[in-house]
Amino acid sequence: MKILVADDSRVMRQIVIRTLRQAGYDDHDIVEAEDGADALAKVSSDQPDLVLSDWNMPNMTGIECLQALRSSGSAVPFGFVTSEGSPEMREKAANAGALFLIAKPFTEETFKEHLDGVLS
Amino acid sequence: MNEFHDTGERRRSSDTPLLITDLIDEETVRSIAQEAWSALIGDDEFLVPLPGGPPDDAVSSWVDVVGPWTGTVVLTCSRATAEELARCLLAEHAPPVLDAEDVHDALGELANVVGGNVKAVLPGPSALGLPELGSIPAAGPPADTCRVDLLWRGRSLTITVQGSAGAVHITPENNPQKNEVPL
Repeated sequence: MKILVADDSRVMRQIVIRTLRQAGYDDHDIVEAEDGADALAKVSSDQPDLVLSDWNMPNMTGIECLQALRSSGSAVPFGFVTSEGSPEMREKAANAGALFLIAKPFTEETFKEHLDGVLS
Repeated sequence: MNEFHDTGERRRSSDTPLLITDLIDEETVRSIAQEAWSALIGDDEFLVPLPGGPPDDAVSSWVDVVGPWTGTVVLTCSRATAEELARCLLAEHAPPVLDAEDVHDALGELANVVGGNVKAVLPGPSALGLPELGSIPAAGPPADTCRVDLLWRGRSLTITVQGSAGAVHITPENNPQKNEVPL
């Protein structure tokens, strides 16, 4: 399976990828995107099985990317990994079609909790 | 029948700007930072609440919070500490010689995580800006500033949550002295 990790921070992408491996998802292919626009393009070109996206990014935010995906008919499983986890943002994410919102900082247990149902 | 007397109290109280010192305390900020350090740097990485003195070559990263309370969450440390933090965050992906972009990115992401969690305990709705980096910003109004001095691995590190009124950020763009030594 293939996971697309979208974050404008290269350091945070590395941390997300490391946490995925620590959580046991070390046999999945990883594709990286540096903002929402890049993620949108790579969902089309790389056909990932799951998108893990930051919320606040330049060019196109994570929520804008998700809305664009759903508007185009894409049903790719999509979850947020973001530094903000307010109830309002969780509601907005869910309404836009996100499966979950993982707030930073996160642990491998948090990843397992949210991803097992999607990637198993 | 009760008469309604408009004393103006409600209007006056709602017009009063929120002060960060009424919304969050030092221990909450330290706790948020410690959680970030434990998760991102390592389980055994502790932030000790002791002032270490301002570093000579301080660098800051910050994120703005805009909402019922508007201000900035600032993380300040020495350049050497910023590089060590970047190495910890990149772990096995850290190159022998760090480039400036990775150090900026790492410090910015730490400010972003701390800032996002500070925002979560403040009244909403509010918005969080993208991380920025530069020389240490001007201090906020003392009454609207929550400052935490910490030691990490014996190195000084300061987090301030400061109101924006009257404060001007010094960035490489508007700082006439600029950064002589790139990170």
